[in-house]
Amino acid sequence: MTRGDVLIELIGVTKSYPIDDGKSYQAIRGISLKIRKGEFVSVMGPSGSGKSTLMHILGALDTVTTGTYTFQGKEISRYSPDEIARIRNKEIGFVFQSFNLLPRTTVFKNVERPMIYGGVPRQERKTRAMDALRVVGIAGKADNLSNKISGGEAQRVAIARALIMNPSVILTDEPTGNLDSATSRDIMHLLTALHEKGSTVVVITHDPTVAAYAHRRIRIVDGKIIEDKTSR
Amino acid sequence: MDIQELILSAIQALRTNLSRTLLTMLGIIIGISSVILIFSIGQGAVAYVTHELSSFGTNFFQINPGTSAIGSISGGANSLTLDDVDAIRNDTSLTNIESVGAFAMVSAVVSANDTDKTLLIYGMTPEILEMLKPEPVDGRFITADDNENMQRVAVIGDKVTETFFGKDADPVGQKIKIDKRTFKIIGIARSGSVLFGSFFDNTVFIPLNVALHEIEGNVRINEIDISVKDTNLINDTMESVTTLLRDRHNLKPTDENDFIMSSATDAISTIQTITNLLTLMVAAISAISLIVGGVGVMNIMLVSVTERTREIGLLKAIGALERDILMQFLIESMVMTGIGGILGILLGITFAFVVTLIVGIPLVIVPEAIVAAVLVSMTVGVVFGLYPARRAARLSPIDALRYE
Repeated sequence: MTRGDVLIELIGVTKSYPIDDGKSYQAIRGISLKIRKGEFVSVMGPSGSGKSTLMHILGALDTVTTGTYTFQGKEISRYSPDEIARIRNKEIGFVFQSFNLLPRTTVFKNVERPMIYGGVPRQERKTRAMDALRVVGIAGKADNLSNKISGGEAQRVAIARALIMNPSVILTDEPTGNLDSATSRDIMHLLTALHEKGSTVVVITHDPTVAAYAHRRIRIVDGKIIEDKTSR
Repeated sequence: MDIQELILSAIQALRTNLSRTLLTMLGIIIGISSVILIFSIGQGAVAYVTHELSSFGTNFFQINPGTSAIGSISGGANSLTLDDVDAIRNDTSLTNIESVGAFAMVSAVVSANDTDKTLLIYGMTPEILEMLKPEPVDGRFITADDNENMQRVAVIGDKVTETFFGKDADPVGQKIKIDKRTFKIIGIARSGSVLFGSFFDNTVFIPLNVALHEIEGNVRINEIDISVKDTNLINDTMESVTTLLRDRHNLKPTDENDFIMSSATDAISTIQTITNLLTLMVAAISAISLIVGGVGVMNIMLVSVTERTREIGLLKAIGALERDILMQFLIESMVMTGIGGILGILLGITFAFVVTLIVGIPLVIVPEAIVAAVLVSMTVGVVFGLYPARRAARLSPIDALRYE
């Protein structure tokens, strides 16, 4: 797959959640969307707009209620949970607002973990994890416990972990949500640098300054896309 | 996921809640340690008794008067006579018999040096001493001549010497009064075994015929001891002697024996049976403790799965398969019960060591029991860890990540 090929395609996707009394709440109300290899996309919207649900669907963490989600030409709903887990492992890197590092575990082990699930040999894991930590500028803290580092550092570790399997896409959900403005800038510069090296990056955010880093900006309100602008 | 990583991460997770982990292990520790303790003590007791009984030789059997009612000896106290002893001795068809001895017990007042004391007097034939092998300290034992000629001679125990003549005295050749009759001391006997220590030390031995005919009271033969040439044929010999005695005592086929016959081998196997039964009982009780312990493990693992729901969600997001999550929690519960099992073994051995030291029996550690204990405890981990681990493995990644 080369730059410009369609990586992700949503066609008429809806997502409903059951609520009380047999009723359901529709978080996504018919979204069709293509994301191409090498794009830097932001998905912006107020809270409750459905952007997190969208991120979960894009990340193959959640299933669609109706419509189809195709990733690299494969329709995700046709795969078993374990096959989808393999796709997440090899093709999708996640960065969450709350970092979601493994507690009681060193920075190195956090970055190493996806490679263990991916069956990467021990020696190669070591080299690749240290390389990734160098890329995000935190190699010096490899042996620190994940709960003994700052928020900015934790998010760098999360980005290193997202990168480690050379995924097709890096999905980030409010990556600067828990960080001060200077650290937020650093993180966005890091994501920009990754994009410039060829990574496909999707940033979900409510913050216009964060969204501004992306070349393509999608606005979503009440589970629908209301704006999709590409700038160069 | 490689097994080393799994075990390391399991140990790390268990260390995070160390006191909780230890408390959870307690059921397993108690269950395993009690099995090891009882097993070690039981085997130690068997080894001890076997050794003691074998030191007298397994080549003889004994006949006591009485009938074997359930678990007790009663009746027929007068059933054995000197004629029985002679009949066994003189039966030429009993080719496997090496020697036949008998003894009678009676308590009588013993006096010497102005000291009176009631002691147990053993009237015995010389064969008994042959079989029991007490170590002589000084002098000689009762001979066949002494018995036949009804010599008033006595062999006295260590303690008896001390009572009447003082410590380190050598009373051989001196006189002692038994039931007002004067006996010559011909030897001092010391015990040949710890088990029968008091048997030899606190008693006086005189010829059987003297005891039967000259001591006041209804003195009867208490035991006939028979040694055999070939131990392998001991059961056949016991059967032949049984037939002979039943004949002599005019017992009808429907009558029970009026004597009890037993061999050292019988005694050993009886003790083994009792020990095995006891071990089985303790094992059953321990199994309950292990089940309770296992339920504790399951409970804590369920708590752990709930506590770490978000973590499970994250692991699934970064590519963990159901199998990876299942193995992670299963290994965690197996490590917990496995360590519990090892601690239980160490604790059990320590207790067994202390107990055997106090009681004075050898410490027997059975390697099979230890291997079994480890396997059982790990199995408890698998059985009781499976449900929580499956629950963890089957969580949907998004529900897990969203869990508050």
